[in-house]
Amino acid sequence: MTIRLLPEDVAARIAAGEVVERPASVVKELVENSLDAGATRLEIETRTGGQSLIRVRDNGQGIPQAEVTLAFRRHATSKLETAQDLERIRTLGFRGEALASIASVSRVTCTTRYTEESVGTRLRLEGGKVVSRQSLGWPQGTELRIEDLFYNVPARRKFLRAARTERKHIDAFITRYAIAYPQIAFSVMHDGRQMLLTAGRGDVREALLAVYGTDLGNSLLEIPAVFAEPELPIQVRGYVGPTTVHRANRGYITLFVNGRWIQDLRLTYAVIQAYHTLLPVKRYPVAFVIITLPPEEVDVNVHPAKTEVRFHNGDDVFRAVQRAVRGTVIAEAPAAATWQAPPPTAQQVVHQRLAALRPASPQAPLPEIAPADRPRPSQPHTAPAFEAAPPSESVPPQARARRLPPLRVVGQVSTMFIVAEGPDGLYLIDQHAAHERILYEQMVSAWRQGDIPSQALLEPVVVTLPADDAARLEPLLPALQTLGMLVEPFGGASFLVRSLPAHWRDADPQMLLADLAANTETQAPSPVRLELEEMIVRRICKRLAVKGGQVLSREEMDRLVRDLEQTENPRTCPHGRPTIIQISLEQLAHQFGR
Amino acid sequence: MELSCLQENLSKGLSIVGRAVPSRTTMPILRNVLLATDHGQLKLAATNLELGIVHWVGARVETDGAVTIPARNFIDLVNSLPAEQIALVVDEESQTLRLTCGSVKASFRGIDAEEFPVIPEPQDGAEMAVEAGDLRQALSQVTFAASGDESHKVLTGVLAEFEGQTLTLASADGFRLSVREIPLLHPIPQPLSVIIPARAMAELARIIGTQEEPVEISTTQPHNQVLFKLQDTVLNTQLIDGKYPDYRRIIPQEHTITVVVGRAELLQACKRAEIFARDATNIVKLAIGDGELTVEADSAEMGRGSTRLEANVEGPELEIAFNVRFLIDVLSAINTPQVVLELTTPTNPGVIKGVGDESFLHVVMPMHLGR
Repeated sequence: MTIRLLPEDVAARIAAGEVVERPASVVKELVENSLDAGATRLEIETRTGGQSLIRVRDNGQGIPQAEVTLAFRRHATSKLETAQDLERIRTLGFRGEALASIASVSRVTCTTRYTEESVGTRLRLEGGKVVSRQSLGWPQGTELRIEDLFYNVPARRKFLRAARTERKHIDAFITRYAIAYPQIAFSVMHDGRQMLLTAGRGDVREALLAVYGTDLGNSLLEIPAVFAEPELPIQVRGYVGPTTVHRANRGYITLFVNGRWIQDLRLTYAVIQAYHTLLPVKRYPVAFVIITLPPEEVDVNVHPAKTEVRFHNGDDVFRAVQRAVRGTVIAEAPAAATWQAPPPTAQQVVHQRLAALRPASPQAPLPEIAPADRPRPSQPHTAPAFEAAPPSESVPPQARARRLPPLRVVGQVSTMFIVAEGPDGLYLIDQHAAHERILYEQMVSAWRQGDIPSQALLEPVVVTLPADDAARLEPLLPALQTLGMLVEPFGGASFLVRSLPAHWRDADPQMLLADLAANTETQAPSPVRLELEEMIVRRICKRLAVKGGQVLSREEMDRLVRDLEQTENPRTCPHGRPTIIQISLEQLAHQFGR
Repeated sequence: MELSCLQENLSKGLSIVGRAVPSRTTMPILRNVLLATDHGQLKLAATNLELGIVHWVGARVETDGAVTIPARNFIDLVNSLPAEQIALVVDEESQTLRLTCGSVKASFRGIDAEEFPVIPEPQDGAEMAVEAGDLRQALSQVTFAASGDESHKVLTGVLAEFEGQTLTLASADGFRLSVREIPLLHPIPQPLSVIIPARAMAELARIIGTQEEPVEISTTQPHNQVLFKLQDTVLNTQLIDGKYPDYRRIIPQEHTITVVVGRAELLQACKRAEIFARDATNIVKLAIGDGELTVEADSAEMGRGSTRLEANVEGPELEIAFNVRFLIDVLSAINTPQVVLELTTPTNPGVIKGVGDESFLHVVMPMHLGR
């Protein structure tokens, strides 16, 4: 075998394999081109899941007559001039590969008119070769028809899934862009049926409703703009689900970076982490997070499909996302769906009306309104003002107290639930879950501040565990020490407990260690360093919290409710179950037919 | 049964025995107080099966008899009566107690006294006796250190060791230890050691009150109970089964720093510090320097406060942290004008004693601030 250069068409088809994986990738490339061209209206049409036809038409600036042919050459692009431009990419595309790649594996008809020319061009290509070219009258913009995708790549064609599956991939992509670009009117037709139609009025909520439907769309909370650090502006916007909305997988977490949909495990984890202890175990949030940062802070030239990016300061981005999402979620909380913020002041009402009149510009809708006089939305599902700081920060006590209205304990039901009365109805509190939350926050906040006092024991306690438990406990010992529990190996499967965290000095060491050692391996390893300690705290709190079936005195109940009012997240236990249920006076009145 | 007595005496007697009436019980009879004539006196008794209290009230007995009456209601009524003669008559047929006091008439449906549990009474010639004042003080110095954690039963009790001329009381809750010795009035031939529930000891301290007469102590080995005989009252309690840890090993044998400081000043400083240490952990720092002791508390949320006290310090400087509640407890229980702290390092236990009082000592474990 001799080595020789591949013929151009073979090389093109190989390259196409990276960019054009399936019909959805074609749609992605074409839609991104349209967005880069400044389009405000986009029509997307497919037949048989994009295999027989993908048509994308926009009203962007179009391609000048002289450049149309060049556009289909590889490494031809208008978006980049020098290598330095790669450092600060502002457009979605830049590689100059998409059109060439698509053309090499399909039959393409490109009809376009450049905004400053009066005559349009229609170019046909088959397998990357121009077969015809004509001039014609055409409205401003570009239409690309991609027919018979992969007609010359049987191997790839074989791997295409059913039309329905491919349609799903296309929809998944377009719906996300429809939300991220609310100022653009998207129209999607599959096999002649309208699937999605957004108005393009710049209203994100409207786009959310169009994409997610009324229920889910309305329940999502808006993330107010926050900057992680003044010298490194990372802006995080978007919409996140309240803690009552969750899904069985991570597919509902969407991330946009500088207008580009990306997939990033770490940031996805940041979002999940932001819901830490707020959602039931193994459930995932719904989130739509739009991150904006200076182009030079992010490298998008990682993969031809550009769904992966690298951040220069990944940790900052991670924190910014986590803070923004958590702040938003905590400011609102599940039972708060019925706990209304105090009525807005007259000034706030004016602001609110003004805000309603002003067509919100999605690019920078929030920073222009100072946080202090930001309108307080009257609908309970929207996030209250974002004065509440992110969780790891110290929250001013007043802001914290806001979380639960002052409650008066009425009594205990079935030695499990506390009945309390608030200004707006009846509250039922799960005593175990509530106590768990209290203990957890006391401990975690002390631990975050780095000073967990520990109380030495008069006499060290020897704890002996089954051998396999002992083996599991051993690696936890350093983490336990940072939590104020000094435990030393004492030969064999025995341990010597020398001190207990002062918060938990009434705990039984034997019981605590046995609990901790039990099945720690079922905990999935996590990329976040803090997880281990939190896991330990969570387990211990579960053990120490009052149980259902325990009779509580009036004083104990009062104390529990007061303490719960002080917590940052009074409405869920650390495992994500609700601690409190509210029945409003209206509901009661309604039930009694009053 | 037919008798009369003074409202004052009956009311006082009921307040003593009433403490043994259980607030929650599945046995209705335990909610009752026993009234019985006994050698020309009225005997009152109540029990929750662990703790039993019997008290004798002077009375003019016409005819003997016994009955049990619901304690709460009876006590409430007697307390409301004028300070006059009360006449009590029991109709044995219907087990009804009729009460007359001045213009007040009342009757209570009772339960047959036969159903009331037998409360052991001390045999004549009690084995052991101590001065009431000694016992009262010892209880106040020891009981508070007992554990409230029911899962470690022995630590919820007070260890009482009788040996030769001495009764040693000790209690510990895992973080602190109180030990107090008091002289026995007569030496005993056989050493004896029992664990008495701290709750019963607290009750005993209350009943001793200002009594001057010696308290006689006896045990009923087969029943595993201990009895304290006071002037007009007998308190008996179940003992806690088990082996008390060897507390003597815990008492540090040496120390490098001795701090002598006024008790009241240190107590006041600790109470002031508690204001700032009042979160869940109650941590205060003691900074020991040349001739001074600074008590300091620091709260991230509230602020900080410190008090500098003049002290007689021997040994190097030291900073050590304690649970301020523990310090307040022990300083409140000591009654010498000055106390001595014996310390070694921030991680070694501290010993607190009254200056000039060798009979009491308290060991308290320090706390550590993480990281």
